[in-house]
Amino acid sequence: MVDYTFSEEQELFRESIKEFCASEIVPKTEKLENVRCMPKDIIKSLASFELLGLVIDPEYGGLGTDVVTAGIAAEELARADPSCAIPVLYLVETSWGHLLDKYGTEEAKKELFPKIVKGEQIIGIATTESDIGSDLANMKTKISKKGEKYVINGEKMYISAVKEAIEYGGGHVTLARMKPELGTRGMCMFYLPLKGTKGITPTYIEDIGREAISCGGFNIDNVEIPKHYLIGEENKGFYIVHEGYELARGLISLVCAGAASKALENGIAYIKERKAFGREIGKYEGIQFKLAENYVRIQALRELGYKALWTYDRELQGEASRFDVSLAIAMAKSVASKWACEAINDVMQWQGAFGYSKECEDQKAWRGVRSFTLAEGSSEIMKLIIARELLGKEFLAYR
Amino acid sequence: MKIIACIKQVPDTTEVKVDPKTHTLIREGVPSILNPYDHYAVEESVRIREESGEGTVTVITMGPPQARSSLMRCLALGADEAILISDKNFAGSDTWATAYTLSVAIKKIGKFDLVFCGQQAIDGDTAQVGPELAQQLGIPQVTYVEKIELDNKNKLTIHKQTEVGYHILEATAPILLALLPPTSFQPEHPPMSSILKAKKKPFSVWDAKTLGGDISKFGLEGSFTQVIKTYTPPPRCKCEIIEGNTTESAKKLSKILLKHEALITR
Repeated sequence: MVDYTFSEEQELFRESIKEFCASEIVPKTEKLENVRCMPKDIIKSLASFELLGLVIDPEYGGLGTDVVTAGIAAEELARADPSCAIPVLYLVETSWGHLLDKYGTEEAKKELFPKIVKGEQIIGIATTESDIGSDLANMKTKISKKGEKYVINGEKMYISAVKEAIEYGGGHVTLARMKPELGTRGMCMFYLPLKGTKGITPTYIEDIGREAISCGGFNIDNVEIPKHYLIGEENKGFYIVHEGYELARGLISLVCAGAASKALENGIAYIKERKAFGREIGKYEGIQFKLAENYVRIQALRELGYKALWTYDRELQGEASRFDVSLAIAMAKSVASKWACEAINDVMQWQGAFGYSKECEDQKAWRGVRSFTLAEGSSEIMKLIIARELLGKEFLAYR
Repeated sequence: MKIIACIKQVPDTTEVKVDPKTHTLIREGVPSILNPYDHYAVEESVRIREESGEGTVTVITMGPPQARSSLMRCLALGADEAILISDKNFAGSDTWATAYTLSVAIKKIGKFDLVFCGQQAIDGDTAQVGPELAQQLGIPQVTYVEKIELDNKNKLTIHKQTEVGYHILEATAPILLALLPPTSFQPEHPPMSSILKAKKKPFSVWDAKTLGGDISKFGLEGSFTQVIKTYTPPPRCKCEIIEGNTTESAKKLSKILLKHEALITR
């Protein structure tokens, strides 16, 4: 029997986070254009509502909820901030916090989580490099052992929340090669603190959307980290990193659904009021067909997103396989940005010239959601994952 | 302090639409929420309990099974125990029958110091249940309460809003207070940790049999009033919308006001 209901706790949580967003997030979103660094008071707000420790083990100050609950927060934050800047900060911290929780050392967790859940430190993800995006297997950053420490050299680029980590404190979960000759079997995952770390030189770039969170990179020049910052076993990093990506991708699907559903609501209100040729434009079939198509797609995206996170939860409980998770997550993420962008684009079109102006809220949503055909694994990579799970690994496209 | 907070689950009136033909409320598909006035009352109950340093807050409602979600929200806001009074015998209750039912429940709970209610519910806006409940419990009441202070001898100083200012009243328990939105604090949005704790708190459901009382005073049978029709009255006068920029609009408006002798010139 299929049960599509959320638990009582999840329903109460959604009601509460909607109110939290209405009073704490929505009033602040107008001031978030071209900020390029998440204001600290917003991070503190997220922390005070316990969002930054939602899936973290209670032993380290979190709540230990399931990831479906984390998905509810992602969807509601995107409805409140359709530019997706706040949702990105939230989903990055949630996904990579979860990975640190699952594979990090006891010492690192005790040191970092109390600050992360209070919003005093950032945790992000930094795997991408200038010349490699989805092709992680060919990354150049290197890590080597030096006594009781590790030494890292390389460069990371197109990373979210670099400035926040440098200014407020915190760091990024990072991937580097330890044994290049072993390819993907020779990579390590570790926590790299950015603030005040000797050998870290940041650079910043301006994204076209998500203007309230920084994007950039950093050069890593002979940076030393303590042994307890290693996440998982040496040379197993490439395999661990995908679990973090999968959670992030599931959350992104719901961020896209949240931003697009808010845009559709804006659109519905508009087409019921705006008149052209003597009647409300919502009375024209051309508008109604688009509305219906987009509504169905966004509802389908929500279903795919929550199914993906539910599958992720089931895997954590030993009730689903990696195959199930990879397929469900890739299915949701493969269409998330595309369907959301198309829905928002139609809403902008309904609004005529106003829809193309910066006065229109929905253009911010379009610019934010557009990033997710690329971020945390491109749409093309999602399709390759789906095909891999359907055809078997012997049909991998790039081997 | 033993505090009882009475709450109601209501349709979210910000989502309610009016049928343009019948002028009645369209309730289908409208989400149910905790009456905002009652939200304040529960938070104030919890605050008073904490200030007094001891005691409990029991939150009660009369309603259908789905009213459980509003009670769970009250538990997440810090109440200690919840009781849902639910039975088809209670259906059709007017404010008097509702107050009677709540009074029987409160007497069954036992000794209490304070009863808190929201000033009114946003669906009916009658503001009658609180005063009627005080009457049936035989205790004093203060309505339009905006602020409550508790001294170390459990004496209450109550700020009652009036049309021209405030009445500052002193009172001792037992008493019923009907609360307005507070000026002294912002309503809380319970985070997930509070929601998880709420699930572990005592929750009871009382039907008519469990409740006891005079069954002829419950529901429709015990109601002195009946709602024949709910509707939005039609507009009584023509509305003219003034268009143009600020200067043009101001000129047009002043002309209209002068024409109707609504503006005195010197």
